[in-house]
Amino acid sequence: MIYLFYILVFPGILFLSVFALAAEFIDRKLYAKLQNRIGPPWFQPLADMIKLLGKEDIVPTDANARMFKLMPLVAFTSTVTAFFYIPIWGERSIYYFNGDLVVVLYLLTIPTLTFFIGGWYSTSLFARLGSVRTLTQLFAYEVPLFMGILSSALIANSWSLSEIAVFYAHRPWFWVSNIIGFAVSLIALVGKLEKAPFDIPEAETEIVAGSFTEYSGRHLAFFRLSIDIEMIVGASLLAAVFLPFGLEFSAPIAFIFYIIKVLFIVALIAVFRTIFARLRIDQMVHFCWKYLVPLSLLQLLINLILKDILT
Amino acid sequence: MSQEENILSELTGRFNFLEGKINILRQRRVSLEVGYDKFPEVFDYLVNKMGFNFLHTITGLDEGERIFLIYHLSPDGRIVLNLKTSVLKANPIVKSVMPIFLNAEIYEREIADLLGVKMEGLPIGHRYPLTDDWPVNEFPLRKDWKPHNTEEGVS
Amino acid sequence: MHNSDEFRIPIGPQHPALKEPESFSIALKGEKILGVDIRLGYNHRGIEKACEERTYIQDMYLLERICGICSHSHSTCFVQAVEELASVQVPKRALYIRTLIAEFERIHSHFLWLGVAGHEIGFDTLLMYTWRDREIIMDILATLTGNRVNYGINTIGGVRRDITDDHKRQILEAMEKLEERINYYIQIATQETTIIKRLSGVGMLTYEEALKLDAVGPTARASGVARDVRKDDPYAAYGEIVFNVITDSHCDVYGRTVVRLKELLESLSIIRQLVNNIPEGPISVRVPRKIPAGEALSRYEAPRGEDVHYVRSNGTEKPDRVKVRAPTLANIQAVKQMLKDRQLADMPIVVAAIDPCFSCTDRMVAMKSEKGASVIKWQELRNYSIEWYKKHGVDFTELNKKLA
Repeated sequence: MIYLFYILVFPGILFLSVFALAAEFIDRKLYAKLQNRIGPPWFQPLADMIKLLGKEDIVPTDANARMFKLMPLVAFTSTVTAFFYIPIWGERSIYYFNGDLVVVLYLLTIPTLTFFIGGWYSTSLFARLGSVRTLTQLFAYEVPLFMGILSSALIANSWSLSEIAVFYAHRPWFWVSNIIGFAVSLIALVGKLEKAPFDIPEAETEIVAGSFTEYSGRHLAFFRLSIDIEMIVGASLLAAVFLPFGLEFSAPIAFIFYIIKVLFIVALIAVFRTIFARLRIDQMVHFCWKYLVPLSLLQLLINLILKDILT
Repeated sequence: MSQEENILSELTGRFNFLEGKINILRQRRVSLEVGYDKFPEVFDYLVNKMGFNFLHTITGLDEGERIFLIYHLSPDGRIVLNLKTSVLKANPIVKSVMPIFLNAEIYEREIADLLGVKMEGLPIGHRYPLTDDWPVNEFPLRKDWKPHNTEEGVS
Repeated sequence: MHNSDEFRIPIGPQHPALKEPESFSIALKGEKILGVDIRLGYNHRGIEKACEERTYIQDMYLLERICGICSHSHSTCFVQAVEELASVQVPKRALYIRTLIAEFERIHSHFLWLGVAGHEIGFDTLLMYTWRDREIIMDILATLTGNRVNYGINTIGGVRRDITDDHKRQILEAMEKLEERINYYIQIATQETTIIKRLSGVGMLTYEEALKLDAVGPTARASGVARDVRKDDPYAAYGEIVFNVITDSHCDVYGRTVVRLKELLESLSIIRQLVNNIPEGPISVRVPRKIPAGEALSRYEAPRGEDVHYVRSNGTEKPDRVKVRAPTLANIQAVKQMLKDRQLADMPIVVAAIDPCFSCTDRMVAMKSEKGASVIKWQELRNYSIEWYKKHGVDFTELNKKLA
């Protein structure tokens, strides 16, 4: 029973959905405020969701209907699953084993692949261009993201997120040594979430909505919810690995710390969205390989040396 | 002597059949009428020898028997010369000036569509501005063309 | 498209990047543009033909509606041609007011453009900021003319509304505010890296190409062609005003942005001169309804470039022919040139960079009629729509009875 509760209510689907919608609201409100607009009311993300659920579902005639309908669910499931391995209210997550870090990173790659497959199978030209861009972008940000996060695991000497959290919680000042990795991972996360300046796969003025051009109704709602949840999971991952504060306190306080950390990252992403123009895909790939990858390599080097000193 | 008068005297000096055909309308506006048989010659001289290298637009006029084309040319953006020529409405064919002015394409298509002047040498392309299923031999800017079905016709 | 690496994507007639229906069919190889096929004409409304059947004063209002943004440009351009035909001397004060509105229009159009350009490169913050500041100028326009767009300030022989000292004060105050904002945008555009990255080197149009393709307006001026009707063929009050023609040598979208931003500052200076030097006197003269036979070509520097109106009169109260050449039409060839070998991502901003106004270019078709094809009559269409809604549960018959 308790597992069912974990999966369905807390910290599973229900909590995650509510938190994701709240984060979307904060993202949108902050974005609006920074742009000198009023912005949406607090229930707007939920209202959008309900509206989309009530809308007609249209599947293009030429599309592969099964794949087209399946992809939003796959994206949703994989992001929710990834969340169970991230410690949120304490030093341990619900499920953990040595190597769960790799699993989380892998599960976070799946939504991107579903965007690609969903876009590709919807057979629209815009969707196909979008899905090709999604994949191109994946190859650009995935390497720095992995290296940024794994280099912090290097010092902690574990592939388990919970153990990394335990390690850093007891040595809080170690986060300073990972600051480059944090910056690199945050930028790579923006690429993963396809938010400006890396919203190239969805560039409205060029390819309408990219992979999602043909999606409508429930399927679009699930995709949107998955993206919101992906944002939460991504932010939680960064918070767990790079911002090891407050985990040593009792569960409620640690949980509040966790919420603050995640919202901080969400706010940072909103600020990026405000102050940058969208790059071109070639510029994006160029940027990732020219700056992010060397920086993450530098982080790896620093951590290797540090580890040598420590042991 | 003003620049307008310079243009006038240079043109009449070169082409004596233009005597009395050139008017200075006002400051910076010169008008000139020439039959279509002499048009290519005059046009070529204006563009290549007198530096009229800016084509503002081409206006088409329906004058009953004939269709007039006015090429609004300018050497420097200051003085505009209205070079007028005309062809018979029964058989309106003129040579495209696109080889000289690339921008003339859209102006010529417009005249071809709306006044039914055949433009020789205009590359195949989309029509402008009428729709693709516009009936042939209906040229809305001709004076004898009246809109039909306008009140209730939406199709 | 599986087998071939070259395919076409349709941008338009309906597409988020375009604010007006126009069709660009783009041949792509990967992300690279191989060629562009432009189809214009979706907004054809038959204005030129319609002009021949209306009086001059009616035409003036009709032509003002060619375009929502450069409405004053078209009406002034037409009015100038008619006044030339009627050989009337327009009072100085009227000319000053016309020029004033013209410069306000330029400012609001350039602000609008800056916002749209920001949106096209995915920088919505710029859109929100510029359109907020644009309201300053819209308010001034509404105060002076009563309208935000389609000002209706012109009349043949002058203008319809005078400006008061109170207006002058308001204008000068607003100019202070705007100057600060414009300087801020100049700073953003010249310093923000992602903007510069997206704009520079994009949509190149060299000086020679600009001349050869007869480009007009900021598009030409950004390629170093100092062509500005306000200077070359002074109309209204521009002959008495000191201002510079802004040119730039970048030849790309970035250059066009810089030109527009600097033109804003130039416009502010023009407005200040106009407000401070406006002569006293009447604002219009009477012009007979019948205009003597003749022809006139009027030119006007609209925010987007040179606007040309050709008017031919035949001695009656209706013109014989009105021909309009909007600036966008002159720049269409330049767009084709600019898009060659560019990335798809550059397409929206390159098209936007000429500040296209497709409604302007498509002016004149009368209603379409097709012999043989089924023609739905307006009434039938209306009935059809009522029936369709009845079937879907929306029925107004009861309500109509109640109200009747």
